[in-house]
Amino acid sequence: MPDEPARGSEEIPLPREVGGIALLYVEDEADARVMVAKMLSMNYPHLTIYHADNGATGLELYRQRRPDIVMTDINMPVMDGIRMSREIKSLNPEVHIIAVTAHSDTSYLLNAIEIGVHNYVLKPLNYQELFGVIDKVLEQVALKRLVGEQNQRILESEKQLAGSQRIAHLGSWEWHVDCGTMKWSDELYRICGLEPGSLTPDYQRFLELFAVEDRPVIERLMHDALKGEAEEDHRFCRVLRPDGSRRIVRVEADLLTEERGLKATVIGTCHDVTELKEAEEQVRLLTEDLERRVIQRTSLLQATVSELESFSYFVSHDLRAPVARLEGYCKALLEDCGDEGQGNCRQYAERAEHVAQQIKQIIDAFNSLTHYARCALAIGETNLSAVVREVAQELQQDDLQRRVEVLVAPGIRVRGDAELLRTAVSELLKNAWKFTSKTEYARIEFGRREQEGVSVYFVKDNGAGFNMKYADKLFKPFQTIHTPGEFDWNGTGIGLAKVHSIILRHGGRVWAEGEVGYGATFSFTLEPNPETGNYLTEGLSSLEQRG
Amino acid sequence: MAESYILLVEDNPDDAFLASRIIRKVCPDEILVARDGEEATELLQRMARDGSYHRIRFMLLDLKLPKINGLDLLLWIRKNDQLQKLDVAILTSSDNEMDQERCFELEVLDYLYKPMTADMLQRLLRHREEG
Repeated sequence: MPDEPARGSEEIPLPREVGGIALLYVEDEADARVMVAKMLSMNYPHLTIYHADNGATGLELYRQRRPDIVMTDINMPVMDGIRMSREIKSLNPEVHIIAVTAHSDTSYLLNAIEIGVHNYVLKPLNYQELFGVIDKVLEQVALKRLVGEQNQRILESEKQLAGSQRIAHLGSWEWHVDCGTMKWSDELYRICGLEPGSLTPDYQRFLELFAVEDRPVIERLMHDALKGEAEEDHRFCRVLRPDGSRRIVRVEADLLTEERGLKATVIGTCHDVTELKEAEEQVRLLTEDLERRVIQRTSLLQATVSELESFSYFVSHDLRAPVARLEGYCKALLEDCGDEGQGNCRQYAERAEHVAQQIKQIIDAFNSLTHYARCALAIGETNLSAVVREVAQELQQDDLQRRVEVLVAPGIRVRGDAELLRTAVSELLKNAWKFTSKTEYARIEFGRREQEGVSVYFVKDNGAGFNMKYADKLFKPFQTIHTPGEFDWNGTGIGLAKVHSIILRHGGRVWAEGEVGYGATFSFTLEPNPETGNYLTEGLSSLEQRG
Repeated sequence: MAESYILLVEDNPDDAFLASRIIRKVCPDEILVARDGEEATELLQRMARDGSYHRIRFMLLDLKLPKINGLDLLLWIRKNDQLQKLDVAILTSSDNEMDQERCFELEVLDYLYKPMTADMLQRLLRHREEG
């Protein structure tokens, strides 16, 4: 309908359709009362109608029902309409009263106006006139109700906003640039240690909330915002409370309207992040402390490693020379005492030479072991399955009589130093190969299993096995838990010690399980992403740089 | 004056004794022993002056020596106009791979581990003759 004026989203309903409104009709003449009540309910089907026959009963009914509108005759027995209206008005000044009056009631009417009865209809009743007055009153009631509801909603949302600000420790403010006045939310006052509303906020007072050294920062932020240059930027500033304590706040500002300069309004927030910042600071301090300790311990370890290095240098060079000398004399002795030397001379010379050889082997083994602790790792992807297959092939080539079933789980790829891992895997396989030499159907299995979220790699055999009480001896150098001659022993006694060193260098763990006669399983884990190089020998610079 | 010499540069008397014993079994040459790098340098300089350095068949050089070590001595020899072609074999108890690499760069005949045996020396001589 083109003639109808545009309405807001809150449409005001037609008075006759408004529900939830009640009307009290007080009239002492029974016929008129019934008739009028009937007409009213026909014309206003949504209106709740109560009726009473005099002022006293009317007042009682009003107390019970609290209707919005009271329509009353004036001249009535027991209590007249004017007295009743006065009583009702004192109960609720907002109530709408319509007086139904005869011309003779003029003196009463003047009283009625005084009381606040603003509407009247004349007797004898003209229904058109009556409905006109009721329509007007209903419209007022509906409008008042709407305004009341909206007010309520505004109050509620303000309450909610204030509550949220309080919970979040988020204060807000508004700066009217032209007059320099400001509005601060209650929470802003509280953040700053002030009683809400305890002062008249303005720009200067706002600045003074902050620590002196932070005020230029705030001024800068405010003026950037005013120029429309605030790039969703925030500042952390210190607020100085009257009690001397400090809070750390995150301040943000933004231009409210497009209008810049004097007429503009800048709005912003002030978020108390003291606890957050303190926690952050604590984390930073802890991290720093941790880093310092890492550096300290690393340098301790480095000192140990460098001692180990000079020790192994000593072993490898200084000890080697006299051993070689000893061996030289043994050889000389052997040569010179001839085939038929005195007594057991020749045999002794031979054995002494053998001992010198053993010492040399031990020195070599020692060097090879310390090498794994000192060398730099070259980390890359290694296909362990492929390595195992190659090593198994080599073992078969060197020992063609043996029939060993080798089962390799395919596609096991890990990150690590390819050469070192090959050495480790090869030692484990050699070990399995050796200890299945007396097993009829020898079987060696390589695979991976998941154990508590960690990949565990294993080499399992059905060979001689071992007694678990010797399990911790297995990985120590030069230890053997089998009786001499029980198995062909041609190694240096450091195979498993090498495995141990290499796995350790890869941040992993190695262990063995077995039972005599039922084979052994060697398992190991690896750090998923081991570090390249060797931080123990490369100095701390790389660590520090990372910090 | 002997026909030819074998120069043994060795500081340890036991090692010098053991090496000399083997050399005497295999070679007829006279053995000259220098007890450190400096002594060896002085001897070689003297022999370079009087021309007798030609008669050194080869030199057995220990690496770990007092004063001037074996590697520096070898370097000095390779830079000396007269001596640079001198045949040198290393005789050491060290298994340092870096040393070994460096020595082969400086064109040594061989790198022998102590104790030297007659077999080892004979192999060295054969190798030297074959060039």
